[in-house]
Amino acid sequence: MSSETTTGATGPARPEVERLHVAGLHAPADAVLSVRDLNVRFNSENGVVHAVRGVDLDLMPGKTLGIVGESGSGKSVTSLAIMGLLPSTAEVSGSVRLKGRELLGLSDKAMCEYRGNELAMVFQDPLSSLTPVFTVGTQIIEALTIHHPAMSRKAKEARAVELLAMVGIPSPKDRLRAFPHEFSGGMRQRVMIAIAIANNPRVLIADEPTTALDVTIQAQVLEVLHTAQEETGAAVVMITHDLGVVAGMADDIMVMYAGKPVETGAVDDIYYDPRMPYTMGLLGAVPRVDVAEKSSLVPIEGMPPNLLNTPTGCSFAPRCPLASDACLDGEPALASVDGQGLHSAACIKSDALGGDVDVHDVFAAPPVPVSRFDAVPRAERTTVLQLKDVKKHFPLTRGALIKRRIGTVKAVDGVSFDIREGECFSIVGESGSGKTTTLLEIMEFHQDQDGEVVIGGLSNKQAADAKTKARMRRELQMVFQDPTGALDPRFTVYEVLAEPLQNAGMDRAAIRKRIMELMKLVGLQPDHVNRFPNQFSGGQRQRIGIARALAVNPKLVVLDEPVSALDVSVQAGVINLLDHLRAELGLSYLLVAHDLSVVRHISNRVAVMYLGKIVEIGEVDRVFDNPRHPYTRALLSAIPVPDPRLERTRERIILQGDLPSPLQAPKGCNFATRCPVFAALPPAKQEKCLSLEPPLESVRPSAAAQALQNAPVHPYDQRFACFFPDGALDEDMLVVHEPAENHAP
Amino acid sequence: MTNLNAVDPAAVAQDAHLESADVVIGKSTIIFRRFLRNKTAVAGLAIFLVLTLFSFIGGFFTPWDKETIDPFNIGMPPSAEHFLGTSQAGIDLYAMTVEGTRISILIGLVVGLVSVLIAAVYGCTMAYFGGNVDKVMLFVLEALIMMPALLVVAVATSGGGAGLKRDLPSWLLLIIVLLVFSWMGTARLIRSMSMSLMQRDFVKAAQYMGVPPRRIVWRHLVPNIGSLLILDITRGVTAAILAEVAFSFIGIGIKVPDVSLGVLIGGATSQVQTFPWMFWVPLTVMFLLTGSLAMMNDGLRDAFDPSSSSTGEARQAKIRKTRAEKKTA
Amino acid sequence: MLKYLAKRGITYLVMIFLTTSAGYFLAVSSLKPALLEQERIPRPTPEQVANSMRLKGLDPDLSPWERYVDWLTGIVTRWDWGRSPNGAYINAEFGDRVWISTRLFLASIILTLVIGVALGVYSAARQYKFQDRAITSYSYLAYIVPAPIAYFLVQLGAININETVGSRIFFVTGISTPGISPGWPQFVDLLAHYVVPTLAITLVGWGAYQIAQRQYLLDNVNADFVRTARAKGLSRNQAIARHALRVSFIPVAQSIAFTIPAIFAGGFFAEKIFAWPGVGSWSIDAISLQDVNAATATLAYGSVIFAIGAILADFATTLVDPRVRVQ
Repeated sequence: MSSETTTGATGPARPEVERLHVAGLHAPADAVLSVRDLNVRFNSENGVVHAVRGVDLDLMPGKTLGIVGESGSGKSVTSLAIMGLLPSTAEVSGSVRLKGRELLGLSDKAMCEYRGNELAMVFQDPLSSLTPVFTVGTQIIEALTIHHPAMSRKAKEARAVELLAMVGIPSPKDRLRAFPHEFSGGMRQRVMIAIAIANNPRVLIADEPTTALDVTIQAQVLEVLHTAQEETGAAVVMITHDLGVVAGMADDIMVMYAGKPVETGAVDDIYYDPRMPYTMGLLGAVPRVDVAEKSSLVPIEGMPPNLLNTPTGCSFAPRCPLASDACLDGEPALASVDGQGLHSAACIKSDALGGDVDVHDVFAAPPVPVSRFDAVPRAERTTVLQLKDVKKHFPLTRGALIKRRIGTVKAVDGVSFDIREGECFSIVGESGSGKTTTLLEIMEFHQDQDGEVVIGGLSNKQAADAKTKARMRRELQMVFQDPTGALDPRFTVYEVLAEPLQNAGMDRAAIRKRIMELMKLVGLQPDHVNRFPNQFSGGQRQRIGIARALAVNPKLVVLDEPVSALDVSVQAGVINLLDHLRAELGLSYLLVAHDLSVVRHISNRVAVMYLGKIVEIGEVDRVFDNPRHPYTRALLSAIPVPDPRLERTRERIILQGDLPSPLQAPKGCNFATRCPVFAALPPAKQEKCLSLEPPLESVRPSAAAQALQNAPVHPYDQRFACFFPDGALDEDMLVVHEPAENHAP
Repeated sequence: MTNLNAVDPAAVAQDAHLESADVVIGKSTIIFRRFLRNKTAVAGLAIFLVLTLFSFIGGFFTPWDKETIDPFNIGMPPSAEHFLGTSQAGIDLYAMTVEGTRISILIGLVVGLVSVLIAAVYGCTMAYFGGNVDKVMLFVLEALIMMPALLVVAVATSGGGAGLKRDLPSWLLLIIVLLVFSWMGTARLIRSMSMSLMQRDFVKAAQYMGVPPRRIVWRHLVPNIGSLLILDITRGVTAAILAEVAFSFIGIGIKVPDVSLGVLIGGATSQVQTFPWMFWVPLTVMFLLTGSLAMMNDGLRDAFDPSSSSTGEARQAKIRKTRAEKKTA
Repeated sequence: MLKYLAKRGITYLVMIFLTTSAGYFLAVSSLKPALLEQERIPRPTPEQVANSMRLKGLDPDLSPWERYVDWLTGIVTRWDWGRSPNGAYINAEFGDRVWISTRLFLASIILTLVIGVALGVYSAARQYKFQDRAITSYSYLAYIVPAPIAYFLVQLGAININETVGSRIFFVTGISTPGISPGWPQFVDLLAHYVVPTLAITLVGWGAYQIAQRQYLLDNVNADFVRTARAKGLSRNQAIARHALRVSFIPVAQSIAFTIPAIFAGGFFAEKIFAWPGVGSWSIDAISLQDVNAATATLAYGSVIFAIGAILADFATTLVDPRVRVQ
């Protein structure tokens, strides 16, 4: 991959070059967009926030630049500044040139000529980004009308249909008259992309376009973005916090921290030879879905600076394990790593960081914790939780006056599994697959449930009296997804932690002692107990939530997406903490997560759910390395990996459409409507999928392996529900971006 | 953290350490301070307190009362003897205003407080039980909203028959009728707020810990809708005072011999050209009363709203900025 | 949609029936026309009073339940809402007045809505500028004045204008000048009588709408979809006018349900103060004459108005918000 994008200053004659940069003279002549010394300041209650501090970038036609950073790093503000969409209170300085024409300083009216025409943008939240009261067609046509007032109504409609077809919306002609609320999130994001590319833009900015979406839908949308870029030949700026998402797409990467680019270069340079400790930390903080080897994640301690005061030294120094006094003396500028290339880093130690430096050594990642249960075979450990054929069906009704039952939503449809002492069991699946409902069925166990929930040897069928219920409750506690919502804003941390203890009937002195213990256990300062939740960062709040769950010494902790609301660097710390606690306290976890990388990192066993049913279950490395069910395979292939070379050549299964509505679910296999194997099957075999429900079957070692063992061999800990796991995949659903010679089909 | 004092000296020492280590201001203190910082709100509170005080002790400054007729001064403008003049019947207007203000404030406070109480109980019950209980209670609530309160007030206060009504002073009767018709809006608001609170994770967390429902309502629900309740009390007081004045003004609320601001204002309308003070004096008092309450309400809303203080300051900053720009231009 | 409306309609019919019945019992138990009758000069004997009441269907000796059944039978079988103590028929009296009131309310409701929403949009567009502050302060002021007093002040103002000018521009009482020739002069006369009461109701009413509309629009000005519209190439003001405005109408449309009854109550006060012979002033007078049937009839009228308001609000919401259209 060559890198046409230059970023930052190079060479020894810095001041001179910088002057040229500001004048925009240094920019390559063929750059479609050149940004020089972009600075954005906001007035806030507490003073002036310097949100973006000197961003330089050049964008070549047809190329993709990935901007990576955590929340508050200034990446979104940069994109909005380029678009001229910042509020008028923001002070923007520097230069933004689109094909040589200066955009900064243009009036709102003058900017309108470029916005939506040569410069287009896709926003993060597709649910709120479309006007709810206008049809999708109206909104697409509006984009055309603004820049082509002379276009006929018919032509505009034809173009809108063409655009919807291009972004993969089925029966586009009819969908033109649909309103945004009639579309799913993924579909709305496609519409957003259709609007953005309506006028063949030269530059397309995508600000976290897939963050709010499921992995399967994310893969679809990324694919659509790819198509859109190929169709329009636009340069793309991809803003994301997910290093996996850009690995396969971007040609160049810019890592931002505290409003400044801290490392820039070609994508391979950044991923395989990072020279700035922050970049290294980010890469080390992300768990990998494709790697079985277990190592701790790299946590980046501390919080990003608040940008109110100009940093006197390197802004990352307070969190950097390598920081020395020299780092605090003036902010390092972006400088070429090897003196001539385009790979630059803003670190005075970047030269020392090349080669074989292991990020785990740099950041002192904790050793992999070992639980006392790890040595005990699974079958010999006690069961802490068992589900037997648990069902949760909701009636689906229609009709205003007399409610007619038109169907049943089988949110959970006969789920069985067990969790043993000291293990982490995960449930994965798209939203709507029933994983959260399963959690709720466990947490809200009661006698009249359909199915049996056994917690610590006590069944829900026995839980008639309050005493038994209380005993069961004490065995399991929960950690919530949103750390802010899970803590009463009017409680101090002390009160939050005291609530379960008081409920357990502890006396005051004991409560006090226990709270101090808990604070230390989760890595919080004990003297912060009388603070309110809003005085803590997101990661710290989640630690409080974990401390509360551990207060009464439960055997099992239920974790509902415990890290999905956290930044990557913070996420690593919380995952390490959970790992550590499981080993030290001998806990069991039931984890629900959409991020399969996190699941692979932390769990021992995993269940894949689809439309209320478990379609594949087993030991995590077996399931992830050798998935048998087509849905598991699709899910795994949809996860982007922070490894550009691998990502470029990976074969990807792109599932068609969204999760079907419960009414459309076929009688046989639920997954048949989207199944890549089913699509390629001959009609006779398809019939079997449609009429019979595949049972969960164990994977047996191959005949060869059995022969080798020369003894009766136990089946593996892996079961799946599919009739044709070895069937060929439908060609249309397979996508590879690189030319074919790079990999074998 | 005083409630945590234990006999254990180590714990006591740690307490001291905690207190010195980090000063945490309680939420109520923050709100109180924000309220005090709001000049308009403090002025509103001051006016309201002065008026209340006036309505209780104002009577001691004049020898006249609301019933004694001064046959020598009928329909007289303000003078040394009658601070605010006299009515056409020769009754001291100052004494009547004091009495009327007291009745109006009384009606406002009682209706405002009690209706919010009813609303809180009713709304929380609906949210807590849900299902059919909620449906039936919502139906009753909507049916009550449908009843034109005005007509019911008219019917109730002009009834001549029932013994109970004859024994009740008309202000008490009005309070009862206003109470019946004043709580529905708040109740509906509290219902929807409690329902959304019940869905919040921290309430779920408490439920999953096995905390009893009563304690959840008391420790999590009530404090979190507390600000709404306080706001609705001031709003309810204002609305009740306004309703009393409106009804009495057209002659269906408080009936003579009872006095209220509405009765005084309404009674003076026919002579507004000839005896203007009879009309304007009680009207001014009413304005001060409702105005001060509105000012307080505004200040309280700002104090409770966590985002409003920042917008307030941003607003001021912006004004300052535009002013500066104008100067330079 | 029709089915939904039918369902709402039935619910409201049940509610109207219940509120009206409750109102009847309240009126029957508290209004005693016989007592007033006895104060007449020459004082009639109790037998005479009872007899006269019985003839009008107001027999005080019957239990409230028996009277309720009689009254209800009359309505259901003959659409007869009973008689007043003075012998007049409620149906006729009501029929004379209902159009006078309805016309007044209709004009005021439309004006209140249009002016309130327009001023709300205007003040939101000029947020924190002088115009916004003046308009919004006015609206807050309107909130702390009881409606009848505001009407009275408007009336005083109109009288003052008349006096200053020296000729009668505005009519501050009544609905028409007696003996005016029909045709054009009658129309002008009608308008001259309408202006002051309509203006009074509107002046007091629009405040709430202005504040609400201003707030809703400001809430939407920075919405994500406005940003999308700007990213398409609309200027900020165009994006707000085309996208935010329409969305900000949704909550206003919903609140129509509560304005119509509010205007109705305001109309009662207005009729009383401007001496309009509408349903409002008639019913208040009737109630002071202990008229059970008139009180109940107006109560039913009020409930019907509320139901109409609620159904209109549903309609308006459906009109502006496609999300509620799919049932």
